[in-house]
Amino acid sequence: MKQTLQVLNQLEAEGVLGRYAIGGAMGATFFVEPLLTYDLDIFVLLPETASGLLSLEPLYTALRQRGYVEEAEFIHIEGVPVQFLPAYNALLEEALEQAVDVPYEEVTTRVLRAEHLFAICLQTGRSKDRDRVRLLADEAPLDHDYLQAILKKHHLLEQWQKWTV
Amino acid sequence: MAKMDRMIQIPEQIARLFEAKEARRHQLAALPYPEKVKAVVRLQEMAAPVFRRRGRVVHVWKIAK
Repeated sequence: MKQTLQVLNQLEAEGVLGRYAIGGAMGATFFVEPLLTYDLDIFVLLPETASGLLSLEPLYTALRQRGYVEEAEFIHIEGVPVQFLPAYNALLEEALEQAVDVPYEEVTTRVLRAEHLFAICLQTGRSKDRDRVRLLADEAPLDHDYLQAILKKHHLLEQWQKWTV
Repeated sequence: MAKMDRMIQIPEQIARLFEAKEARRHQLAALPYPEKVKAVVRLQEMAAPVFRRRGRVVHVWKIAK
């Protein structure tokens, strides 16, 4: 995992990635008990291409040049299947901007804040997101004022109320 | 019948067991992140045969232990 994160840091330093942060189950695992997952979800802000479009292709090209192999929606980086998810809405952009630097062994990486993981689960709305929201509510050190502000800003209060009925 | 009437009283021993499980989950949540990653890989190793029998392709992470 350390080597995987080093590769991500290199890509960010080279400008292939705008900014990255760990999300999904491994992001949640930073705050709660370890969760079973087989992939590492990496949220990314992508640099704009000359055409003004956002594309993962330059990132995948850079990784292929380093010898990493794609499989379905993943790319294997140093023994870890990584899925890159571009920030496709305002909530994800904000989550990435406010993600926090954390140490991992001798490497620094970045993880989405627990409050943003919570909001993203609400927005995505699958059954496993519901489970994750419950775990974050039970185990993560949530800043409830901050969470409330995020839910209000991104119109998720109603969804949260539905899930707590 | 009122909902409360249907509720089953949990025996004290079982209630203590639930409390211990809850405490264990909070202990796990407080582990350093690299330790949690090692735990995730152990979970992957345990669950992989089940997923594979169901036909799902899964890869246990090959990370330095």
